[in-house]
Amino acid sequence: MEESTWIKHHKTVELNEPIAVVGSSGLRSIGRLVVDHLIKELKPQLIAELYSTHFPLIYQTIPAYSPHPELPGIGGVEIESGEVGLPRVQFYAHSHPPLIITKGYNANFNGQYEVAGRVIDFFKELQVRRIVVVAGYGSKEKKVCCAANEEKIIDEIKNKFQIEVDYKGPFYGFSGLVFGLARLRGIEALCLLVSAEPVPTDPEAPDEESSKMLLNKLNQILDLHS
Amino acid sequence: MNVEIKMLKTLQPKESVLIGGLPGIAYIGKLSVDHLIQQLKAELVGEVYSKFFPPYVMIKDDGIVELMKNELYYLKNENGKDIFFLTGNAQAFSPEGQYEIADKLLDWAISLGVKRVYSIAALLTDRSFETPNVYGTTTTHVLLEEIKKYGVLPLDQGSISGTNGLIIGLAKKKNIDGICLLGETRGYQTPEGLYVLDPRAVKAVLDVLTALLNLKTDMTLLDKQTKEMDDLIRKIAEIERNMREEMREATTKKPSYVT
Repeated sequence: MEESTWIKHHKTVELNEPIAVVGSSGLRSIGRLVVDHLIKELKPQLIAELYSTHFPLIYQTIPAYSPHPELPGIGGVEIESGEVGLPRVQFYAHSHPPLIITKGYNANFNGQYEVAGRVIDFFKELQVRRIVVVAGYGSKEKKVCCAANEEKIIDEIKNKFQIEVDYKGPFYGFSGLVFGLARLRGIEALCLLVSAEPVPTDPEAPDEESSKMLLNKLNQILDLHS
Repeated sequence: MNVEIKMLKTLQPKESVLIGGLPGIAYIGKLSVDHLIQQLKAELVGEVYSKFFPPYVMIKDDGIVELMKNELYYLKNENGKDIFFLTGNAQAFSPEGQYEIADKLLDWAISLGVKRVYSIAALLTDRSFETPNVYGTTTTHVLLEEIKKYGVLPLDQGSISGTNGLIIGLAKKKNIDGICLLGETRGYQTPEGLYVLDPRAVKAVLDVLTALLNLKTDMTLLDKQTKEMDDLIRKIAEIERNMREEMREATTKKPSYVT
């Protein structure tokens, strides 16, 4: 294969400085649940898909988003409605407000930077002005908090929406690196994190209640009606 | 992006030295360099990003996200050659990454006039000691004789893993001087497997390095940290001694029950 990570474009869209909402499987599947909900409710158009030889179908690490250099996973395909498909990141466009809804996929250890870098490059092509990452963090207290790549974004979110900084620590997986790399490419990035109780035996067990809490805040911030 | 050196300031090449210390055993390299940066008020001039760093980000106390990275600081030195400092919150994970980052860093340093590289690392020992030894290895015999004058013990055998070692090995390949100073440490670890900081070894290394480079730094903070660590280790030893005593008493005591 010539390239280990590539993008298949489906549709060309003209959006005026869209906001990219990014979520992926992670702690209690918060990011995936939020993005799935937006896709279902807002009915955006699928504009592109990113594929990578670094995408395992089966992960050898628990949780899947915490990669290990010696456990690359096992490749494979997914079958959906009788059709075969490769594991992928999906980009959807929504016009009003202009959004790029991004459903992420966790690469293995060797591919994480490459995949996140390609996603950021694609956002630059689409003239994305801000990335909003949605994810969960382990805590029993029910709360939505924020993080960002610039202080002024934190001040804005605190003042306008009374969302405080609460979580400190590592952020693993697709969404974490997209969030981290944004500053290097000059894109603003905000992260909304909702607390969810960790389930050690099944770290990605869906937490619908927490994801709804996060969705409510996201709806306020982006003025959505999802 | 294999390795990206992002310069925050334009610098003119001038004969200078590079001092590097990245996270490793007991954080001796990183702590030593960070101490010098803080004390000498060196200026941040560059950041190093790489796909070879561990693939995650850190969210800090203030909510700002930070990639794993190395940092380059610069000091215009009135008393000698100018100094670049290399520190960071991570090392590359794989040998391929460690080679590539060390190689890129050295090319960058050489392009700015660096003629000598100092690297700081740790030497694990099970020896009991009051004052840790400082061991050293160099790229030439002449340099080895030079550092011996400062009380450095030549490292006859052993290895230096990671970028702190490779940067000296590759300096030799690129025909520039390299000196690695290794602080002797017991390398205590937490139950999670994280190394406990060893400020005593840091001070021992810095005593040598500051003398070699004619630098003046205040070591009060390191002395305070050393005392705190000593107190902590003394307490742990006391708890362990009490536990052993209780176990001994329990096994020698006659049973207080009748069957």
